[in-house]
Amino acid sequence: MACSLLAPAGALAADYVGSNVCKTCHPDVWSNFYKNPHFKSLASGTETPENTGCESCHGPGKAHVEARGGKATIIAFSELGPEKTLDACLRCHGQTISRANIRRSTHTQQDVVCSNCHSIHKSPAPKFLLAKQQTELCYGCHATARAQFSMPFKHRVNEGSVQCTDCHNPHGAFDPTWRMAARPHMVDQREGTEEACLKCHIDKRGPFVFEHGSVAVERCETCHQPHGSMNARLLKRPTVFTLCLQCHNGQGNFGNFGPAFHTGVQKPPSDHNLANPRYQNCTTCHPKIHGSNTSEFFFR
Amino acid sequence: MKILTSISFLCACAALAQPPVAPTNEPVGSPRGDNFENYNIVQSFELGYRFATTGGDFDMYRSTVNYTDGIRLLSSSLSIQSREGHGRWFDQIQINTQGLGNDPYESASVRVEKNRLYRYDMIWRLNDYFNPALTIANGEHFKNTTRTMQDHDLTLFPQSNFRLFMGFSRNVDDGPTLSTVQLFDFRGDEYPVFANIHEQQTEYRLGGEAKFLGFRLNVLHGWEDFKQDSPSQIVAPEIGNNLTDLNKLTSFQSSFPYHGTSPYWRVGLFREGKRLWAVNGRFSYVSGQRGFIDNELSSGTNVVGALTTQQILAFGNARRPALAANLNVSLFPTSFLTVTNQTTVNNIRTVGDSVFSQYTLGQPIQPVIPYTYLGIRTVANSTNVELRVRKWFAVHTGYEYSDRRIAVIDGQENFGAPAPAPPDNSPFTQSNHLNAGMLGLRFKPLKQLTILLDGEIGRNNAPYTPVSDKNYQVFRGRAEYKQKSYRVAAYAKTDYNSNSISLTSYVSRSRNYGADFSWTPNEWFAIDAGYNKLHLDSLGGVNFFLIPQSAFSPQDVFGTSYYVSNIHTANLGARFAIGKRADIYVGYSHVQDTGDGRASATATSVTEPLLALQSAQTFPLKFLSPQARLSIRLNRLMRWNVGYQYYGYNEQFSNIQDFHAHTGYTSVSWAF
Repeated sequence: MACSLLAPAGALAADYVGSNVCKTCHPDVWSNFYKNPHFKSLASGTETPENTGCESCHGPGKAHVEARGGKATIIAFSELGPEKTLDACLRCHGQTISRANIRRSTHTQQDVVCSNCHSIHKSPAPKFLLAKQQTELCYGCHATARAQFSMPFKHRVNEGSVQCTDCHNPHGAFDPTWRMAARPHMVDQREGTEEACLKCHIDKRGPFVFEHGSVAVERCETCHQPHGSMNARLLKRPTVFTLCLQCHNGQGNFGNFGPAFHTGVQKPPSDHNLANPRYQNCTTCHPKIHGSNTSEFFFR
Repeated sequence: MKILTSISFLCACAALAQPPVAPTNEPVGSPRGDNFENYNIVQSFELGYRFATTGGDFDMYRSTVNYTDGIRLLSSSLSIQSREGHGRWFDQIQINTQGLGNDPYESASVRVEKNRLYRYDMIWRLNDYFNPALTIANGEHFKNTTRTMQDHDLTLFPQSNFRLFMGFSRNVDDGPTLSTVQLFDFRGDEYPVFANIHEQQTEYRLGGEAKFLGFRLNVLHGWEDFKQDSPSQIVAPEIGNNLTDLNKLTSFQSSFPYHGTSPYWRVGLFREGKRLWAVNGRFSYVSGQRGFIDNELSSGTNVVGALTTQQILAFGNARRPALAANLNVSLFPTSFLTVTNQTTVNNIRTVGDSVFSQYTLGQPIQPVIPYTYLGIRTVANSTNVELRVRKWFAVHTGYEYSDRRIAVIDGQENFGAPAPAPPDNSPFTQSNHLNAGMLGLRFKPLKQLTILLDGEIGRNNAPYTPVSDKNYQVFRGRAEYKQKSYRVAAYAKTDYNSNSISLTSYVSRSRNYGADFSWTPNEWFAIDAGYNKLHLDSLGGVNFFLIPQSAFSPQDVFGTSYYVSNIHTANLGARFAIGKRADIYVGYSHVQDTGDGRASATATSVTEPLLALQSAQTFPLKFLSPQARLSIRLNRLMRWNVGYQYYGYNEQFSNIQDFHAHTGYTSVSWAF
């Protein structure tokens, strides 16, 4: 299969010269190659020539040696198109859960493939051959995320406590199990079934006797901005009652109260005088807003 | 030397983000390390002293920055590599740490590997979390906890066709919190409650992977236990938030432990078929259950001033089985066409029972409360087509249909009887259908220039909440020009959602624009700068009650909640190398929400029936952070570093939460 993907059609075993030949002209690459995970293919000593060392990625080197170098005589990734780069890497790295969606991922659709984030020979990162530190790598394209993580309230990505891949799968995620299974596109799932937020925020997971419907169905982004916010607790609004009232307005057929109520998401009762600051701090009386075991109004 | 230069160069570029000023990014020692027998060892440490002086609201500083004084092992790394790949016990040991010693954000990662035999990975993280949240819940919800997370994964035979996985994870959140409780009835008062939070999640994983007939099968079984035991109490008599009523609490104790387990299975199957097709699938099933007990005892005076006691006892057990299945089929009929289809099925149900007992002045009230039955079943199918028309031009398009059915039996209190249900004893149901289409274009007119344009339009017929996606449209554009020494990029994105119904409406409009550039003309200078504008405005219909002072009956008021946020962010970073002796880094981060432009919280021409609603329409503030760092090379193996970073937080309409902080550090980095 290696030959069918990388090597010119009809490549023979004799076309492979072995990595020892490569190091003659590429000592800079070779001198540190033992630190590279791909060195394992050489160290094992059991792989076939097309799966060993330099030629497992760059194809047979005989013509390249005979021509005394040149990008036209070997597979040079700087000259490969994105789709061919992807194919080359997926030959060995394709069959895993984390990369199951790589061909339909937003990154692939935007021509962001392996070599955009990974540096095979000059990685400064301790793991995964990343071309830069992970945060810097993601910020390179996702400037909005960089802006959000600079806000006063944020997950501690810049501080190194949280990484982008704690929540996102850069190789493409399965469809989300919340909302309409359509958006967001690249968010990973906890245990394959839950939103990534619950990996850390274990107290919000429930199940609760009384679930907050919007949390159970639409999940955390209904009220929170997960990257960063100008508002406390990553909320979408600076004051909590405006956030609540946007849904709790008793209009339409929203929510899950059924035909008996059929008045949308329940609005505040008539004794909640919103002119009184007491009622503008909803979570003072409704602290268990993510779900409760004893109160359908999330009192405790 | 060439390698050394390249690595230093990359590190220099990586230093141009805006992380905290420490640890130092400049490398120390030789990246080649030293050889010992058949191993190569590269090791470095950065040990220093961090300081911080603050003014203004210290709680807000702790919430947003949280660095304090003290000696820190700011960072360390150890890499031991087998040069032949045939180490006796291991071929690689890689250890990295950050912030050890009392930084609020500490982490360590370890990898130990022996080729073909095993690979062990460990990540440990600690996060000191503090949140005063003054604007939320009347300023009474504080949290001062420490979250510790650790993940261990061991893979046996990592390079063979048959692998075994095992893993262990633990996530603990521990520390004091303040919350509130409302007593003794719906007209009661709110009281601050102290609780010592202790939540713990433990997960064990065991799995394997095998390759046969070209397929790779991956099976993982996990057991996850989670529990919380957080007794809470009020230690002194409390008069509550409302000084004008007669409610008073003299004692309060509460304990609400829960314990649950979520065993799960995950099966994956993969196959890439000779460059013509690929298929993979995933099946996950989580069989979760959770038991709880609530025990609350309180005494005081009620709303009419009468002495009262109240005890609440509740216990129950819930089950939440969740299933997720996906099947991806990709076809590559030609070298320029890729067709991918994914089918997704999600099914999550919450069921269970609980018993609730309340004793008020000895009078028992004992309803049986069923868990709110909530079943969510989603079936989605999406097809994506990518056509690479020319080397410089490609089109991708896609269509997704999604069908979601929510079934609910509301868990209302029903004193001594089963849960209320519709006459036919079936749950209330709601179905929503989404039709979404997307189209994207990719241009590469020059090798250095990439232009991306794409859009997505979706239509839901029955969204779940007024703020859910209904009629949404997203358009994105991005252009990037990249040369070897510089890069310029600009992007724009709009995300509009309209969720209108007959009496009220919700519309949100998000528009983001930005540009950034980086330039590294030589080895001694690099600069990186970016600007983003994040605009959001949303208009929602609200309905609430007002009771004017002159009237006794509440007025039913319809209004609008209009929120405008205009966030400008800018970042700048520059690095200078002075010969081979010193490196200087200066950076600046500026985040400012200019709101809707008003001068004060209520100064606007829009008249709202509720003043607070008017003032909640915008929240302008500024958060800025300049920093500078000097790193001097003392010798081949040592550097001396000193850095300073300022943080300033300033709200426009109030200065209660404002703070400023001078932070910095000095350290020595060395390698040996």
